Amino acid sequence: MEDELQRLRGEALVRLDGIDQSGDLEEFRVEYLGRKGLFSGLMKQLGQADPAERPRLGQLANSVKAEVEEAFAARQQALADSAGRESDKGLDISLPGRTVPLGRLHPVTQIMDEVCGIFEGLGFAVAEGPDIETDFYNFEALNIPPHHPARDMHDTFYFSESVLLRTHTSPMQIRAMENKKPPLRMIAPGKVYRCDSDITHTPMFHQVEGFLVDEKVSFADLKGILSIFIARMFDEKTPIRFRPSFFPFTEPSAEVDIGCVICGGSGCRVCKHTGWLEILGSGMIDPEVFKKIGYDPELYTGFAFGLGIERIAMLKYGINDIRLYYENDLRFLRQF
Amino acid sequence: MKFTVNWLKKYIDFDLSNRELADRLTMAGLEVDSVEELYPGLDDLRVGLVKGVKPHPNADRLSLCEVDDGESVRRVVCGAPNVRAGMLTALAVPGTVMPGGFKIKPAKIRGEASEGMLCSAHELGISPDKAGIMDLPADLSPGQSLVEALELRDTLIEVDLTPNRPDCASVIGTAREVGAFVGKKVKHPGAGDLPELSGADLPFAVEVRDFAACPRYSARMVKGVKIAPSPWWLQRLLLALGLRPINNVVDVTNFVMLEYGQPLHAFDFSKLAGGRIVVRRAAKGETTETLDGVERRLDEEMLLICDAERPVAVAGVMGGGNSEVSDDTVDILLESACFDPVSIRRTSRRLNLATDSSYRFERGVDPQGTVRALERAVELIVELAGGVAVPGGVDLKEGLPENSPIDLRVRRCNDLLGLDLSARQIGDYLESIEIDADPVDEESLKVTPPGFRVDLEREVDLFEEVARLVGYNEIPVTLPHVPLSFADRDPAREIRKEVAAIMTAQGYNEAINYSFVSDRHYDMLGLPADHPARRNVRLLNPLAEDQSVMRTMLLPGILENLKRNVNHQRPDIKLFEVGKVFHPTDSELPDEEMRLVAVISGKRNPDSPPLHFGEEECDFFDIKACGENLLNELRRDQVEMVSPKETPAYVGGSPYLALQTGAEVLGGLGRLSADCLKRFGIKTEVYFLEVSLTGLAEVSPRPKSFEPLSRFPSVNWDLAMLVPENLAAGEIIEAVKNCGEEILEEARIIDIFRGESIEEGYKSVAITVTYRDDSKTLEDETVQKVHQKIIDLISTRFGGKLREA
Ligand SMILES: [Zn+2]
Repeated sequence: MEDELQRLRGEALVRLDGIDQSGDLEEFRVEYLGRKGLFSGLMKQLGQADPAERPRLGQLANSVKAEVEEAFAARQQALADSAGRESDKGLDISLPGRTVPLGRLHPVTQIMDEVCGIFEGLGFAVAEGPDIETDFYNFEALNIPPHHPARDMHDTFYFSESVLLRTHTSPMQIRAMENKKPPLRMIAPGKVYRCDSDITHTPMFHQVEGFLVDEKVSFADLKGILSIFIARMFDEKTPIRFRPSFFPFTEPSAEVDIGCVICGGSGCRVCKHTGWLEILGSGMIDPEVFKKIGYDPELYTGFAFGLGIERIAMLKYGINDIRLYYENDLRFLRQF
Repeated sequence: MKFTVNWLKKYIDFDLSNRELADRLTMAGLEVDSVEELYPGLDDLRVGLVKGVKPHPNADRLSLCEVDDGESVRRVVCGAPNVRAGMLTALAVPGTVMPGGFKIKPAKIRGEASEGMLCSAHELGISPDKAGIMDLPADLSPGQSLVEALELRDTLIEVDLTPNRPDCASVIGTAREVGAFVGKKVKHPGAGDLPELSGADLPFAVEVRDFAACPRYSARMVKGVKIAPSPWWLQRLLLALGLRPINNVVDVTNFVMLEYGQPLHAFDFSKLAGGRIVVRRAAKGETTETLDGVERRLDEEMLLICDAERPVAVAGVMGGGNSEVSDDTVDILLESACFDPVSIRRTSRRLNLATDSSYRFERGVDPQGTVRALERAVELIVELAGGVAVPGGVDLKEGLPENSPIDLRVRRCNDLLGLDLSARQIGDYLESIEIDADPVDEESLKVTPPGFRVDLEREVDLFEEVARLVGYNEIPVTLPHVPLSFADRDPAREIRKEVAAIMTAQGYNEAINYSFVSDRHYDMLGLPADHPARRNVRLLNPLAEDQSVMRTMLLPGILENLKRNVNHQRPDIKLFEVGKVFHPTDSELPDEEMRLVAVISGKRNPDSPPLHFGEEECDFFDIKACGENLLNELRRDQVEMVSPKETPAYVGGSPYLALQTGAEVLGGLGRLSADCLKRFGIKTEVYFLEVSLTGLAEVSPRPKSFEPLSRFPSVNWDLAMLVPENLAAGEIIEAVKNCGEEILEEARIIDIFRGESIEEGYKSVAITVTYRDDSKTLEDETVQKVHQKIIDLISTRFGGKLREA
């Protein structure tokens, strides 16, 4: 009797699993669970069992039947779902999702974070300095004395003779080196200001300054770090070239160009038909700078570099008008 | 610095295309800014010979010309006053397209046929001279191509010179650099021996009173010159380089400056009182009129060139009108001097007068080169203007910068550049640009920079030259070996990033505004005169009035953004900005505080499908939610939102909550007053939040700590109370939460109801209270007891009554 119950249970569950049409399901119900079905038949045989065993068997038979009924109901639901629920009738799933869109970061912030992230990955610390600086940190300590022609390259906003809006993020080199001994590797992102406004200049823009100082750092190392940066920021295959330039606080100084991302190097208006785009300025930190902050220039060497965020955003995203950056038009901000 | 390719080729032999030349120069550190074909579109023009000129029968100012075009004689009507028989000029025959795009056709002019046009230099884009048709040199023949006859086929290259390379502000300096990469030597034009300029037996005298500002002054005299226009080759070159030809003497001084980089000045000797030159500082209040006709007010730091009585030039910047070479000049005195760069730069800035001369002097000219350039100019003047050079001259010098030798350590050079060069290789590189370099041994060289390289003073300057000559792109690419260390993070940047993430997650878009604003903003906000935000830092030289002070608040900037968006049919706005504001202090630098501002206006979910969200407008609770999310996610539990006694002027009576820790106010949130919005020109309701991130950073965050999860079920019991109408429901919740009952887990308002069924002066507040015991399943009696206590608490403390169902 007990064996028979277990056999029937197994058989019913296996059969139920194989049913995929409601007609077959009804057939199953009549055959197993109906008034004249197999389970009812088995129940009727209970009377002939040993009276001592009867309560236990009765309980067992009920639980087996309940189990099969439950499985039957589940199967019935599953078959109903695959045919489509009543409540789903007329649901137009082409309608948009119930989105509550996230906000977006300003493209300048996005590029800034990307740039910083690459250098953080290389173990560079990050520090932001003050926007309002002294002439000493912005110029003097960087080997740009008063009346140096290099001051022509920096149209400066002044608050007084000695206080100004920083024209580059390079003052952070000095502030960092004043407080720490090498080895040092750091980037300084932030806003910088030039007294200049036209189609290609806004009076405020963003830079990231970076530098690395230790014993025996070479120009070849500078090339190595900046090549990694450009491969990450643009593409592994982006052509890159270094060419001589001049910054008062580096010697030798180098301008870094990448193959034009607009025309692929064949020459266009953006690259002035040279096939190259200037992307950052760099060089070996000038010994005069080390002397100013008390490092031994015979012992330490290092390199520094600086890059403009807006320019990189323009190249990466194809933005063609810098004034858009600070108008904060949502039609612009929502694109990135 | 500009030069033409043909001109450059007179000084150095090379076989490079213009493109290659430009690339090589750029890679040598002379960044080429433009490469431009000169005088394009003149290929169809010819030299024409005017054989006869008759007056036009119907027009006084026109002439009928018979012009030989080399093949035949044609009739051309011409309006130029200078046309004459026998002259050679530029002829455009029918079919020629002029530089402006105009096509010459046979025409009838006042009834007379004209087959072509005689052209002025201006019409051909060769010079600004509009005076008449071109009067070409007599050695040309009719029918020649004008471009070939005048050697017009040339390319102009402009180099953007860095301030350290004044030596390349000359064609010879540029040729020297080209020589380095093509492996050739420069052909110097005046390579002969230089005369001894002892200053003896001269018809003039020179006195230098300030050798610090003028370490060298060389001068010679040429007598009996005939002032005339320069020959075509010289005019053409000056025109191509953007200089106006003046006369043979002045043009020579300009030409030699462009050739050698040494500015020269020619004085009309008859106008120099006492036949003397005195180099001295200006006296206080002294004035002089420069060549450009402007009266210049001088100060005691400016250096002057004077005669026996008065200033005749502002040294190194511009000559004076009183002694300039004119058409009747006969004798000239030529100056070739060396001035202190700082002094010249200062004077040039102060007078707001930048010239080709000041450009070179303030960057540094070759102190050894004055006499060489002077000799070249004397030679050319005698050749072009006639006259006789007075033998001898003056060459005063004192305290000239010495070219002391520099020790170059080979290993140091290789270490810094990442190269492996020998002493001999380094020497060869330096010699290629005329830098004397003698290897001392395998490990070092003695290097003597030439006078024209005023930028080479230290060993490291020579390293750069080596790198440049090797080629930056030939230097290997390596990575530095630095010890591993933890990279410090900037705490201000970290909180900025955290806040930006919280804000964007709530749908706010980031804005960035200028750090300088207009004072006017504070009036628009309606701030009282003594409001601390009005104490700001002011720029001395703002670009515009609306960018004249450093911002002390972020709100005005973002309101301007909001207005802009509304004006562009984008009325549903969620914007935020994180940025610095600046407060004046007693010390040198102002205090820089990082703040956050957020605004919301229009629809609650601006970019959501209206299908699902309808047209729900935002309200106070949207901005309050923003504040709550910010404080919750930053876990700044100590910051509370309190209803302050006084609201900011730009809020007035609108809903507002201050964000405070204890008594310190960090910011606030609420709705802007209608008055304020009106002043900003905004027509929609605006809710805002502003808070100091510098302030928030100083509040310690609640540490993250784990609380065990209860295994026992909770139960929710609701209650509805009638409480006085003006009671803040938030206070009831606070009181309930703080009632001290262990099993009370949470209490929330589910409904507030006012209406007819409610007693006058009361409102119904429905609250759901969650109870849970962490050690056992709660029994109804236990809950009942606590629930009743809460009802009693609301009744007694707030005058509430249980609402009958
Ligand atoms: Zn391109």
